[in-house]
Amino acid sequence: MSDKGLLTGEHFLLGDYAAAEGAILVGCRFFAGYPITPATEIAERMSTRLPQVDGIYIQMEDELASMNAILGASWAGAKSMTATSGPGFSLMMENLGLGIMLETPCVLVDVQRGGPSTGLPTLVGQQDMMQARWGSHGDYEIIALCPSSPQELFDLTIRAFNLAEKFRTPVLVMTDAEIGHMTERVVIPQPEEIEIINRPQVRKGDVEPDHFRIYRDTDTDGVEGTVSPMAIAGEGYRFHVTGLIHDELGYPAMNAESSEWNIKRLVNKIRAHRDEIIQLEEQNLDDAEIIVVSYGISARTSQWPIEQARKEGIRVGYLRLITIWPFPEKRIIELAKRIRAFVVPEINMGQICLEVERCAAGQAQVLGVNRLGGDILEPQQVLSAIRKAAGRSDQPQTDLQNRQTER
Amino acid sequence: MAESDMRLEHSGHEPDSQSDWVTGLHPMDVLLRGERLPHIWCQGCGLGTALTTFIGALQWLEKNQNWDLDKVSVVSGIGCTGRIAGYIRLDSFHTTHGRAIPFATGLKLVNSELKVVVISGDGDIAGIGGNHFIHAARRNLDITVICVNNFNYGMTGGQSGPTTPHGARTVTAQYGNFEHPFNLPYLAAAGGASFVARWTVLHARRLEWTLREAMMHSGFSFVEIIAPCSTSYARWNLEGRGLDPQKLGRRGLEVMKHYQQVGKIGHDTHPKDAAIKVNEKGEINAIVEGVFLNEPKPEFRAAIKHKTQIAKERWSAAKKVLDARLKLPGRNDVVERTEVQLGGFGGQGIMSAGRIIGQAATLYDKIEACFTQSYGPEARGGAAGSQVVVAGEPIHHPHLIAPTSAIIMSQEAYVKYVPNLTSNGTLLIDDGLVTLPEDHRQDLKTYGIPATQIAEELGNARAANSAMLGFWAAIVGAVSQAAMRQSLADSVPPKTLEVNLKAFDVGFDKGVEVLK
Ligand code: SF4
Repeated sequence: MSDKGLLTGEHFLLGDYAAAEGAILVGCRFFAGYPITPATEIAERMSTRLPQVDGIYIQMEDELASMNAILGASWAGAKSMTATSGPGFSLMMENLGLGIMLETPCVLVDVQRGGPSTGLPTLVGQQDMMQARWGSHGDYEIIALCPSSPQELFDLTIRAFNLAEKFRTPVLVMTDAEIGHMTERVVIPQPEEIEIINRPQVRKGDVEPDHFRIYRDTDTDGVEGTVSPMAIAGEGYRFHVTGLIHDELGYPAMNAESSEWNIKRLVNKIRAHRDEIIQLEEQNLDDAEIIVVSYGISARTSQWPIEQARKEGIRVGYLRLITIWPFPEKRIIELAKRIRAFVVPEINMGQICLEVERCAAGQAQVLGVNRLGGDILEPQQVLSAIRKAAGRSDQPQTDLQNRQTER
Repeated sequence: MAESDMRLEHSGHEPDSQSDWVTGLHPMDVLLRGERLPHIWCQGCGLGTALTTFIGALQWLEKNQNWDLDKVSVVSGIGCTGRIAGYIRLDSFHTTHGRAIPFATGLKLVNSELKVVVISGDGDIAGIGGNHFIHAARRNLDITVICVNNFNYGMTGGQSGPTTPHGARTVTAQYGNFEHPFNLPYLAAAGGASFVARWTVLHARRLEWTLREAMMHSGFSFVEIIAPCSTSYARWNLEGRGLDPQKLGRRGLEVMKHYQQVGKIGHDTHPKDAAIKVNEKGEINAIVEGVFLNEPKPEFRAAIKHKTQIAKERWSAAKKVLDARLKLPGRNDVVERTEVQLGGFGGQGIMSAGRIIGQAATLYDKIEACFTQSYGPEARGGAAGSQVVVAGEPIHHPHLIAPTSAIIMSQEAYVKYVPNLTSNGTLLIDDGLVTLPEDHRQDLKTYGIPATQIAEELGNARAANSAMLGFWAAIVGAVSQAAMRQSLADSVPPKTLEVNLKAFDVGFDKGVEVLK
């Protein structure tokens, strides 16, 4: 046990609570949110825990306000977070865009439930995966991570903050109702055992305010995709930031050249560091003829069918996308050249499946395994798809199998 | 200096030489981003005056109240007024439409040293941002909101908005506005603002004094500035009608003249009575101005801080419990995947019983467990269900595939869950609450104890779940007795610890007996 209100050691912890504890351990001291199932427990935990570590919890009037409040908090120097689910995620899209445009570090946890609209408030879905990528208008790159257990929800919340701070951008943790509402062992390390990254920042007096560029194009090396130091409010830089297309000073610059500069800057700072951001878990890929590509709860429930299929002599590999965005294109393209098929189980109509198809580009078959929210995938569904991909015959299965979409 | 001269002076400079602008041209230049000038506002627009009075107030505060202007943040939304953030040389944030107030809320809550001022238009603050406005007022957060009201959406060409007078004309109300406007001071006051004022830009000096006061006020302060929109609103309404459309400056002046005719100073007017009065054509015929409300009231950030001490005490208590947890060696025998279904009704502690099993397994037996519970409609209306999987290996599939044992404490739960049990599974019931029907499954190993009765006899009916847990631990054996006891001790309120442990032990002994 550590003092200063930090929880450490081994706990039997609800997934949503694990997200909150991860945030607190990495230094999050501001949470703004709005109640929504199944993300509410994150807010509840934060409301109890943040005051214990001199942090601020506030329930805002809606998700638009929540997202904006965490941006304001970040510009005042705090590591900040919000958490929501489908309908609230939609409302947050507006100011997620502002966060990206202003280059504001912060973390948004989406505990996905079935949609669209009010959908299935208490039941699982993985239907926001494309919204995570493209949900706010305009061109940008986003970082999104996808945990498969409460422990990983804890770990990835920490990583999300580190990536947010490093790249000065909002980072999404795309979890789901199943993981969020699941209680399992969560091991919380001592604070000094985890990596904590803080934003590049100028403090009062570091730079002559007149020479300070809040969106300096390149660092001294002139490397593209570098992240320029941020100033925070109250340090004497008297900077300006805007959601308009802007120049290095943060001033509105409404023309095509500035737009090109501005958007490329937002996109490149992530693209240039793809290899560092992308995290995958791989099993048995060397000899694989079939690869199950999945993420979150669906990756986890694919483990048993994969073991089963290997017992049946099918050479199946497992590729779990811990980072969903940016998408691990390079790896999929590479694998597509030497395997027979990808099987993509997910609790939606086939969203990440589209990305796998794009990268496979006809070189390998792509089979989606889908369930449309409300419950996790049946192991049997995934097993059948693997058999089918391998050209094996399949025993008659449950009617759920009929929902399988062949692509 | 006339605006046209400023333009001449400032054209052709590169942004690189920011400091060039601070040449003492005008005392206010230090607070203007000269390199951003000329501004985009129309001639005759009231926004220039709004900005000047704001700067005047800030400079006064710097000089007379020792304000460090480095600590002032200006936050704007979208619209003509929203551009103020881009012209003022302070930390300034030009956010999204309507969202300046929540952004400001984040700034202020994190750093209470900051003086945070929101300046935006009527459409931004009272239209798209109306919800944020009333809630910030309700919290009495220590920020200042300045709303420049020109009765329409100027930047997009003069559409009706939440403050357009009834009967007035706009590009989207060519037959006269059929909606009724907000009385903004009343809205702010009703929301909970502790400082509320209004001035037209004509009363520039009084406006400046009020802005000083508003910014010094501790709590949510709101100042409405009535200002001409020479291009859009004035075009369609009394103040500017019949004037040459090319002469915007002149139109603005006409509006100011009109303010002089209709404006009336009325400090302490009840905000309810501060509605702007119009005739049937929507032409303004009375604007009451002044400071309507200025009352001391506990400020929000202070209220939050106040709770910190209680929170910390709670943490110390929780930490003590955590520190007292036993360190058990864990088990090293093989544990097969055990799936446990728990069912009963609300209040029996079905959720906590499942959680206690899972916690015992992971923390004290050091094997794996995954606990899930029924949420939503299913979990309401009396029925309660929870599931826990215990295994020696990582649990990939978190749900019960074929429950190997069940703890059932109501007839309803019996009906619902027993059919799912795997053949040869173990069913444990509170036989005081569950009656086995004639067609009860014979392929199950069924055992019962009157758990509720046992608990009642021990003095607390709510310990019935503990008796069932003891019974389950003895019969199923997937989790050790010691682990279960410790997990139980972690989970129940200290006052009921003894009775719960007793109930557990009674249940456990009964289980051992049954197995003999
Ligand atoms: S449109 Fe109206 S409010 Fe906007 S700058 Fe012009 S006169 Fe001012």
